[in-house]
Amino acid sequence: MRFFTASVLGLFVPSLAAASNLSTPTQLTLPSDFKPPQVFKNTNLVRNTNLEKSYVRETINVVVENVDKQPQSDYYIPFPSDVFDRVGGFEVRDKKATDKGRFEVDATEVVSSSSNQYFVVHFPEPLAPKSQITLGISYSILNSLAPRPAVIQQADKQYLTYSFSAYVPSAYQTVTQKTKVKFPSTNVPDYTETSDLKSGADPERKGATYTYGPYETAKLAPGTEYPVTVRYEFTNPVITAHLLERDVEVSHWGGNLATEERYWLRNNGSELANQFSRVEWTFSAYQKAPTSAVREITYPLQPGSVDPYFTDDIGNVSTSKYRPGNGKTAAHLELKPRYPIFGGWNYSFKVGWNNDLGRFLHQIKGADSYVLKVPFLQGPKVAEGIQYERVVVRVVLPEGAHNVRYQTVEGANSNGLPGANHIRASLSSFKTYMDTLGRTTLTLEVDSLTDEARDAQLVVTYDHTLMDALRKPLTIFAGLVSVFFAAWAIGNIDISIKKR
Amino acid sequence: MAESSLDVLLKGSSGRNTRGLLRIIILLTIAAAAVSSRLFSVIRFESIIHEFDPWFNFRATKYLVQNGFYSFWDWFDDRTWHPLGRVTGGTLYPGLMVTSGIIYHILRFLTIPVDIRNICVLLAPGFSGLTALAMYFLTCEMSSSPSAGLLAAAFMGITPGYISRSVAGSYDNEAIAIFLLVFTFFLWIKAVKNGSIMWGALTALFYGYMVSAWGGYVFITNLIPLHVFVLICMGRYSTRLYISYTTWYALGTLGSMQIPFVGFLPIRNSDHMSALGIFGLIQLVAFAEFVRGYLPGKQFQKLLTSMVFLVFGLGFAGLILLSVSGVIAPWSGRFYSLWDTGYAKIHIPIIASVSEHQPTAWPAFFFDLNFLIWLFPAGVFICFQKLKDEHVFVIIYAVLSSYFAGVMVRLMLTLTPIVCVAAALALSAILDNFLVLSKPDPEAVAKASSDDSKSFRSSRNAVVGIYSYFSKTVVTCSMSLYLLLFVAHCTWVTSNAYSSPSVVLASKMPDGSQFIIDDYREAYYWLRQNTPDNAKIMSWWDYGYQIGGMADRPTLVDNNTWNNTHIATVGKAMSSREEVSYPILRQHDVDYVLVVFGGLLGYSGDDLNKFLWMVRIAEGIWPDEVNERDYFTSRGEYRVDEEATPTMKNSLMYKMSYYNYNSLFPAGQAVDRVRGVKLPAESPQLNTLEEAFTSENWIIRIYKVKDLDNLGRDHNNAVAFDKGLKRKRATKKKGPRVLRTE
Repeated sequence: MRFFTASVLGLFVPSLAAASNLSTPTQLTLPSDFKPPQVFKNTNLVRNTNLEKSYVRETINVVVENVDKQPQSDYYIPFPSDVFDRVGGFEVRDKKATDKGRFEVDATEVVSSSSNQYFVVHFPEPLAPKSQITLGISYSILNSLAPRPAVIQQADKQYLTYSFSAYVPSAYQTVTQKTKVKFPSTNVPDYTETSDLKSGADPERKGATYTYGPYETAKLAPGTEYPVTVRYEFTNPVITAHLLERDVEVSHWGGNLATEERYWLRNNGSELANQFSRVEWTFSAYQKAPTSAVREITYPLQPGSVDPYFTDDIGNVSTSKYRPGNGKTAAHLELKPRYPIFGGWNYSFKVGWNNDLGRFLHQIKGADSYVLKVPFLQGPKVAEGIQYERVVVRVVLPEGAHNVRYQTVEGANSNGLPGANHIRASLSSFKTYMDTLGRTTLTLEVDSLTDEARDAQLVVTYDHTLMDALRKPLTIFAGLVSVFFAAWAIGNIDISIKKR
Repeated sequence: MAESSLDVLLKGSSGRNTRGLLRIIILLTIAAAAVSSRLFSVIRFESIIHEFDPWFNFRATKYLVQNGFYSFWDWFDDRTWHPLGRVTGGTLYPGLMVTSGIIYHILRFLTIPVDIRNICVLLAPGFSGLTALAMYFLTCEMSSSPSAGLLAAAFMGITPGYISRSVAGSYDNEAIAIFLLVFTFFLWIKAVKNGSIMWGALTALFYGYMVSAWGGYVFITNLIPLHVFVLICMGRYSTRLYISYTTWYALGTLGSMQIPFVGFLPIRNSDHMSALGIFGLIQLVAFAEFVRGYLPGKQFQKLLTSMVFLVFGLGFAGLILLSVSGVIAPWSGRFYSLWDTGYAKIHIPIIASVSEHQPTAWPAFFFDLNFLIWLFPAGVFICFQKLKDEHVFVIIYAVLSSYFAGVMVRLMLTLTPIVCVAAALALSAILDNFLVLSKPDPEAVAKASSDDSKSFRSSRNAVVGIYSYFSKTVVTCSMSLYLLLFVAHCTWVTSNAYSSPSVVLASKMPDGSQFIIDDYREAYYWLRQNTPDNAKIMSWWDYGYQIGGMADRPTLVDNNTWNNTHIATVGKAMSSREEVSYPILRQHDVDYVLVVFGGLLGYSGDDLNKFLWMVRIAEGIWPDEVNERDYFTSRGEYRVDEEATPTMKNSLMYKMSYYNYNSLFPAGQAVDRVRGVKLPAESPQLNTLEEAFTSENWIIRIYKVKDLDNLGRDHNNAVAFDKGLKRKRATKKKGPRVLRTE
């Protein structure tokens, strides 16, 4: 049946990949003896390190001045090579005009001469000599918090350590700089106290915020490091999804938007020193004591979400609860894993739900073009945050959709996503439910995301004609007709041995 | 006008078409009812595989779908029966898996994305719809009454005796085997009636399918020869019989030998000898018939007598010789236990330990068959009245399966089809007589019979009929009432008794809402996610398939029970002291030990209640080391509280069940809710194992086997040292005094 209809309907097949903006990220190759040209000077640099979540979120505000004689437009930001791959949601904006959007950023390949890799920020307009620009750089670093002690008792508090350099790594000379570290609580048992970097106590403590600096570093060579380690209480799980697969399936006939997300979670917190004790867990759960284990995950769904499910490899997880919203307020899916996820434990699961397509899809008047606006990432909302090592978003468009383009929605603030050239996009076809051609599928892959990207929106435009919509009914019709015809033809064959 | 238009519909050739259409609609409705009444568990719980064996079948199906047919055929499974492994491809009946694999691939071909699990879950209900249809065909062969077939189909569709093995999720061999059984019998009756090679070959084909699907094929292998034998003894030999039997036997045996697990059994195993014997006999009978046509009566008589003695003597001697020399395998243990219900308990505790191998309790017949069970004898009686070839078949089937159903609970399944046939025959006879509105016209009947005046008076049918509307109404109403009660009973039994997955337990919250106890999957999923991929799990064999299917970890023993010694080893490890068990665990690379404990919840199917079977099976192999008597108190009680015997208290199973349990309760008040006893205030001490995981309601407890001590101490000393106890001086053992013998 498939062959027959495929050959008949193959006549109407439009070319799929025509005119789209799909790209694969390219990395800049630098010469092996590369050193960033010393054309800039950081006159003032403030780094805010936020340790309240289970990943590190940093924002750097830096005033950059062009000290060269030529206008310059490429600003290099170094990261140690082992950290570089774990930097997520990297974004640079002009601090004075954040609504103008992010600057274009390229990543470099490993430079053999240094242990650093660079992000290259391209200013939209070259910076004239002697003039200044204030950059707002924001990013998060995944998996950079290490639990110490690495093993704890089940009811113990958990402590994380974070090591960084008191001098902000920079490719350029920096005049003054300081680092503010925000801890989740005031319980910070260990932190490095610098002795000779500045006069007075360093760091200065104010509640849960510790400030290293300000330092006068005009005379220091760029790249000088001063290692600092802090250790603080974080009796929360360090939830890491080492893979999230998210499928968004559009059905024009059903008027339905089906979403399914598959998680492979791991808790990167301290492991249990002894084995798991159910007695202790029962008592601590009864007292609602803070714990480093994942007890429950709340998953807000958009208003109007229906038919939610929460399953894993061996079936429905019966411990979940769904609290539907009243149409306007968000619905909540309360996911309780089958067992508490302690440090070092894994849990993989699947959640899914349906939405009315009308809220997400818009047809352009008088054309066969559609605009689909869906969240790029939803994910659970937990106070301690979630880090995603790899996210694969698949948008399954109706069969025959072509001229596919996508865009992430940018606002005045960071949406948690990296720039478009750090998103790997590809088109493929996905066959299901009696498809002949397969449905056009847009796959977007991003590494190192955090739940900062929860509110990011994805816009996909595509063309879909009436003929595309009618393909499936016609296919089924043709298939049935051919089956009936075959039955009739076979029924007419005389197979009796006797002569009639 | 309305009447005349009805007449158009109901009379003549269009009337036949209308009735045909109506019949198809009724049959489809019956099939739909059969399918939907089996979906209770899916609606109440979820689409999940039930119980124990289905988990293996599901796992095997997944393997088949992923790796293709040939690697499935050659599948050596090293993740069960560690360290022996199991030649799975050669020791299973592949029919079930192949069937769902084919369905899966057809759906894939049509690009319909159905999960293989859903196919497996819904296979049994789907095939039960087909069974109802097959039942219709079979019963239609037995009776000319149009209602009998439909009634039988309806009975078969909803009777609990069959539903018990075919609810959604009960993905076991019986799911398709009962359909094949009924359909093979239908084809066989058809073949005997027509004497047609085609029907005989079709019988053989479906017999082959049946062999590939279920070990119960032996029932067909013996029932058909018995039918033929009885027919021959009744002097009903005919060429029809000869053609159909020889066709079936030759093709069917060849077909059955294609299954690796069956292999050469059909010519070597005693269970199959009757079919072979009848095959020989029917040749002789055919030859005798042939000779009779050419020889005068007297000589033929002599020849026949001598032939009979000669052949019987030769055959019997040959059989004995072959049995003694071992060419023909002796009768299997399961076979003996069919005749002597006490046999298994003494000789094969592993068979007796399965609840479905126990003799049936009387109420079970009524529970599973309701009013069919008292219509059943009436139906058999009707068969005696008619007594054509096919009715002989019904009678034999009825007698045999009634016996077997009494011996073993699970064989109720083979009884159910014939009960439905017989009950439908009886009920249709009643309805045909009582539901007809028009009275019989005695004159017309008398005239009709007097036309036939050549026959004897006694052989003429007497003029019988029901004349009174009152009796018609009463009988019809009461029968309808019984039918309605039957439907209500079936629904009730299905929903209450047979629709629980037993992997997921349900209980009611105080407000009446359902509360799901999901401990099994909690623990299995923990194993699956948080242990190394090849961590060996030791548990009692009941849970082997589930661990393989849900936790995806290698197990030591499972429900296949092919190696009694291995199971006894596990039994010994469970029932011995830690000092004895630990070396066994180490030798078998065990990483985790899993026990089921129902004490907190009052879940009675736990390991402590099965514990005596472990002891018995272990005792069967090591009578010197494990002794059942040691687990009973001096007064012969099986106790787990303060009074328990030292052997009991020191056994690994006891320790693992109650380890740390008392800390859930205020001091000294720990209670076991299954056995209803207060436990000792002190928790048992475990030295060689440590608790790794306990599920929410304590149903599953998983222990990790400790590695050897780093300092080379034994675990007793290491634990004592960690607790800060003073090391006991190794005092010189005094021992009993002995006389100096110099």
